[in-house]
Amino acid sequence: MATTGWDEFEIGAMLRTFEGEAGDIAGTLQEDRNYTENSSFTASVADWRIEKPVFNKDFCIDCQFCWVYCPDISIISRDKKMIGIDMDHCKGCGICVEVCPTNPKSLLMFPELADEETEIANWPAKETKEK
Amino acid sequence: MSEMKKIKNLKEFSTSADRFEGANLLCPGCAHSIIVREVLNATNDDLVLAASTGCLEVCTAVYPYTSWDASWIHIGFENGSTAVAGAEAMYKALKTKGRLKQPDRNPKFVAFGGDGASYDIGFQWISGCMERNHDMMYVVLDNEVYANTGGQRSSSTPIGASATTTPAGSISYGETKNKKDMMGIMAAHHIPYAAQVAPNKWKDMVKKIQKGFATEGAVFINAVSPCTTEWKFDPKDTMHLTDLATDSLVFPLYEIIDGHELNITYRPKNVVPVEEYLAAQGRFKHLFKDEYKYLIKEWQERVDANWAYLNRREEARV
Repeated sequence: MATTGWDEFEIGAMLRTFEGEAGDIAGTLQEDRNYTENSSFTASVADWRIEKPVFNKDFCIDCQFCWVYCPDISIISRDKKMIGIDMDHCKGCGICVEVCPTNPKSLLMFPELADEETEIANWPAKETKEK
Repeated sequence: MSEMKKIKNLKEFSTSADRFEGANLLCPGCAHSIIVREVLNATNDDLVLAASTGCLEVCTAVYPYTSWDASWIHIGFENGSTAVAGAEAMYKALKTKGRLKQPDRNPKFVAFGGDGASYDIGFQWISGCMERNHDMMYVVLDNEVYANTGGQRSSSTPIGASATTTPAGSISYGETKNKKDMMGIMAAHHIPYAAQVAPNKWKDMVKKIQKGFATEGAVFINAVSPCTTEWKFDPKDTMHLTDLATDSLVFPLYEIIDGHELNITYRPKNVVPVEEYLAAQGRFKHLFKDEYKYLIKEWQERVDANWAYLNRREEARV
């Protein structure tokens, strides 16, 4: 939390996202950025969730649909691979599960308190289409 | 001039480093941030952004936090467009005078606004920016209602929608006025580029945004943004609703170049009946009562007529 009071800001009431020189932000991944406490990246909305998405990488085909349609920048993709979910920023909307094209889905929603490893062990089997 | 970012497929797109942060306070499943991400990730250049008052502004700048990793101006309801236009004019003036410290960085100027800030309150300001042809882009996040203040109707709200100031009940079927044709109005300014986009067609969207960035002069973008709170659907269905909006041709995707050259950029293979689009939303629930069923028929006729009009315009090049 920032310690500057509302009346102690510099002229123009500026909130700085980065410490020091910002440089080329579009070429810097989030883990390499020097965020200040004013960036909402340092905050968390994890307590908004009722259900959480669980990622099973065995079925993932790295199509990146979840990445592009995630409203909360919570799908972490590096080097064209989906590597996990940012649980600090995920609000549990469930869009990633809806847009996942694999069968069975590689992302599913479970209650917030469910155990991830148990759920992955009991992952639903492939659905066969009945004609 | 900096090089255009190469985005061939979604995998390539996914290597982008987001300049919009999570833990903003937009509702779960809000399409606003999907649109903002697709716009910002379409370029690697520096950005000068502003947002008119609306969901996007109040949710991404909650003291002491900011969700933006680029220069972003917090401004009034009506003047998001003029704030960016002013920044652009200043940039141009300083560049001409040779007073810029890094003159080769070529920032892009983008203003965001909701439909309330664009169709109603900021209308004359946007019109001014388009008329003066500033080198900027104005993006409307069109959720067809004043969602930030509790769901009052705006001039973008379509016929039959129940909003808090036009509630559906025993003597009313909700909004009675037609949706304003903002694209037509903006194209009538003869601006170099105007386009309608939807977040589910990300490639079409990125292509149009990049075209807009490459264009010198004012660019107007109208993006459909399904609102889970006011359209009354489940947050997980945001993309499904966007699919229905584009595939039922309620929200056709097209671009208008120089005010006359109209290109339809997406033709759905299977056109969905408008009824399906209406049925997916709680705000149109009352239209399925027997006494209001005729409105659904009128909806379909209106959408068909608009689609035929766009096709004729594409062909005639006027």
